[in-house]
Amino acid sequence: MLKAVRIILALLSFAAVCLLFVDVNGYAAAHWGWMAKIQLIPALLALNLGVVAVLALCTLLFGRVYCSIVCPLGVYQDFINSLRGRIGKKKKRKNRFRFKPENTKLRYGFFSVFVVLLVLGLLGVVANSFAGMLDPYSSFGRIMGQLIVPGARAGIGTVAQNVAADGYFFLDSVPLPSPLSFAVMAVAVVSLLVVTVMAWRGGRDYCNTVCPVGSVLGFISRYALLRINIDTDKCNGCGKCGRNCKASCIDTKNHEIDLSRCVVCMDCIGNCSQSAISFSRVKKVPSRYENAPDKGRRLFLAASAFVAGSAAMKAADKTTDGGLEPLQKKHSHSGILRAVPAGSASLEHLSSVCTACQLCVSACPNGVLKPTAGFDGFMQPHMVFTQGYCRPDCTVCSDVCPAGAIKPISVEEKAVTKIGTAHVDASICISASQGVDCGSCSRHCPAGAITMVGLPDGNLRPVVDEGACIGCGSCEYHCPVGNVVGLGSKTAAIYVEGIEQHRKIVH
Amino acid sequence: MEAKNIPDKSRRRFLRNLGIAAAAVTVSACGGKKLTETSDTAKKREMTYRINPNTGDKVSLLGYGCMRFPTMGMKNGDESDQTLDQEAINKSVDYALEHGVNYFDTSPAYCRGFSEAALGEALSRHDRSDYYIATKLSNFAPETWSHEASVQMFENSLKYLRTDYVDYLLLHAIGMGGMENLNGRYIDNGILDYLLEQKAAGKIRNLGFSYHGDVEVFDHLLKLQDEGKIHWDFVQIQLNYIDWLHAKEVNERNTNAEYLYGELSRRGIPAVIMEPLLGGRLANMTEPVVRRMKEMRPDDSVASWAFRYAGTPEGVLTVLSGMTYMDHLRDNLKTFSPIEPVDTEEDIFLQTVANEFLANDLVPCTDCKYCMPCPYGVNIPGVFGHYNACLLNGDAPSDSQDPDFQAARRRYLFGLDMEIPRLRQADMCIACGECLLHCPQRIPIPDQMAKIAKYTETLKSYSDIS
Repeated sequence: MLKAVRIILALLSFAAVCLLFVDVNGYAAAHWGWMAKIQLIPALLALNLGVVAVLALCTLLFGRVYCSIVCPLGVYQDFINSLRGRIGKKKKRKNRFRFKPENTKLRYGFFSVFVVLLVLGLLGVVANSFAGMLDPYSSFGRIMGQLIVPGARAGIGTVAQNVAADGYFFLDSVPLPSPLSFAVMAVAVVSLLVVTVMAWRGGRDYCNTVCPVGSVLGFISRYALLRINIDTDKCNGCGKCGRNCKASCIDTKNHEIDLSRCVVCMDCIGNCSQSAISFSRVKKVPSRYENAPDKGRRLFLAASAFVAGSAAMKAADKTTDGGLEPLQKKHSHSGILRAVPAGSASLEHLSSVCTACQLCVSACPNGVLKPTAGFDGFMQPHMVFTQGYCRPDCTVCSDVCPAGAIKPISVEEKAVTKIGTAHVDASICISASQGVDCGSCSRHCPAGAITMVGLPDGNLRPVVDEGACIGCGSCEYHCPVGNVVGLGSKTAAIYVEGIEQHRKIVH
Repeated sequence: MEAKNIPDKSRRRFLRNLGIAAAAVTVSACGGKKLTETSDTAKKREMTYRINPNTGDKVSLLGYGCMRFPTMGMKNGDESDQTLDQEAINKSVDYALEHGVNYFDTSPAYCRGFSEAALGEALSRHDRSDYYIATKLSNFAPETWSHEASVQMFENSLKYLRTDYVDYLLLHAIGMGGMENLNGRYIDNGILDYLLEQKAAGKIRNLGFSYHGDVEVFDHLLKLQDEGKIHWDFVQIQLNYIDWLHAKEVNERNTNAEYLYGELSRRGIPAVIMEPLLGGRLANMTEPVVRRMKEMRPDDSVASWAFRYAGTPEGVLTVLSGMTYMDHLRDNLKTFSPIEPVDTEEDIFLQTVANEFLANDLVPCTDCKYCMPCPYGVNIPGVFGHYNACLLNGDAPSDSQDPDFQAARRRYLFGLDMEIPRLRQADMCIACGECLLHCPQRIPIPDQMAKIAKYTETLKSYSDIS
């Protein structure tokens, strides 16, 4: 019963987080975006103290239910573990665990590394995404964002186009291909392999040795009010519970449970043929005194407390009609300071808070966020304007960011927030160097920051009022140079370089 | 019941949007059931012919326009594959000849320059006396304007069309660029004299011109005939039930077909009709108009009304239709075999349709693709086609309080993305104005692009999910 409830809640929560990443029209983000915000490490970084308090309280009351229900990586491991229990020789499938004492060296070793990286991140010495490599939610986010979402998006796009022909429209644009980074992909593949192999071989080993969230919650769950208890009067010492405990935390000989590693999966309750195991308050409760309806109510309370907590070509050559000018996908400029989303306030803030979960990258409807490959800001988002620009009326990344790395920002604020400055490469600008009557950058500038001025040779060159430019990238996106194969450049003639410190522009 | 109808309605709207933008002409107008019937009956029925008073040619009233030949890309869904689908062309040409069509109109400029060769290939499989070929001395790039280049162009036409003579030769798109272009292209280089020599030598059987734009040029050329300096065997004009009286409302630079046809008729010059469907737009009417048309002639397609209108005046030699698909061809054969002229009552009805049509602020693009390729990659006719289709079908909402606003908005935006890649949409126009030189409708393309880009932006900013 308790196990069934755990599984149902876990599946719901897992599906919700997955959908949040795949989300093609912002529906999931609008309705259960909070699912990302109740993840412990992002909540800590965002200083969402309410969420942190509720999670701590939950753990104090019920133990590490978080790890079994809220954490998507935890649920994924349970899935792998359950698969292991169904595949292969029966001998190997059943009774494959045994009690192990806590591997304190490894566990606290990893935890110390995490704390050190986090401190270094917060101090701005290295990007916080290095600490984020150990955060289970962010690892899951990278696996989704880089390995699953691109394919899922393409599939959904195809389906949407097919049903559109039948008159059903559920999107307002064909999804753009997700920006990929091989570095982040590599990190995601490694995480996926490590987690999968560890779960296949050792159940919740990852959670109880590597995972910093498991360690932190483990400190609290030692004192959990409700816990797994073995009634020694009933126990016949068969040891079945211990051999099937994926956390390897049931010491059957001594009838003790290592509460810091128990993820309260409730598997052992059902496995006990003597009904000697219960989820209850005191260590020994004679079963005949236990009040059955009370159990149900507790469960209900547990669930609702949890839910409540989480709620928180040139024309002159033309002799024929038709045809399409060949286009290419523009490259972004390299070797310049990266621009980061409005709401992140500064490069430093983003760098020190972002755990690189990739949710913003997946959520960006304009396709402008891309994970960074270099050491500086490793895996954290930066902006590219090759398939769109950062629309001044969009605040999606700041809405979804669970860690407060991109802080909530209003549309009005964003429209005047300067995140970078456009620069002109006059040598490849078709207006400045060839006298083509273009001015596309100037016309499309939402801030009115670009004007075309006359050069001595009579050509017009775009110039940027750096005081008015907000760095939205509309000019770079709309520049024909870089798009049109025939113009001979892979990059645009006007491009946005980020600034370290964002600021409000005054008109 | 009502709820059930909603997807159907939007489906039809959407299919129309696709149809009008992708290929234009009659795709949505031909009901599937009618087609098989048509193909049988068309065979038995007799095509209407008109006699050319100059040569006595018996010309089919339905002429085959070769500007919109099918491409391989249409078959395999790859927009970049613009190779012509010769197999499909052969099939259509065979079918057309078999059912009495004998006038084929091409030009060195059509289908990226491959139209003549494709037509030549298809026609060479038939007896030369079974058909008439019309082609043009095109006026696109000034470097083709020299005497030598022009002679070369004419000789290439003969070569590609695999023939020794052309039945109908036209000075192409007279009026674009005004008197200056006329003189530069055809007079000063002596090429008109060359063409007259060729006519005397029998290599050209009929000499005429096609007219777009500046009416001064049209009047000038007819005046030459009045003065006895030249004889025009035929003239090609734009005629349809919108342009008859409202050409200026569609496009202020155009001239009413009533005037153009009147001037020709007065002089006994046969008229060849182009744009009978206004680039396909007259095949896609609003739902109330379609209902009224079907009440009057339940078995006839929407497009057939426009074709019958264009074929009704007795001085019309042939009505050109760019039939991309076999079902266009079959539907048109039904309309013209034989033609039932538009009577007075129908004529009055079509004038009311014209007024309603003009109430929409459509872009007067006929999808001729003369502007293409845009050197900056914009799919100009695609953008206009999508926009017009949305206007006609109520998918271009302006009132965000309208209960259908979000659904219409999604149809507009998603349909746009589906049809046209982002880098080819209106906001990628740099307003260089190269296209302006080529548009026979003289649409202020950059202005229209800016207008459409701005409108699209506005729609994008009204997301309902937040």
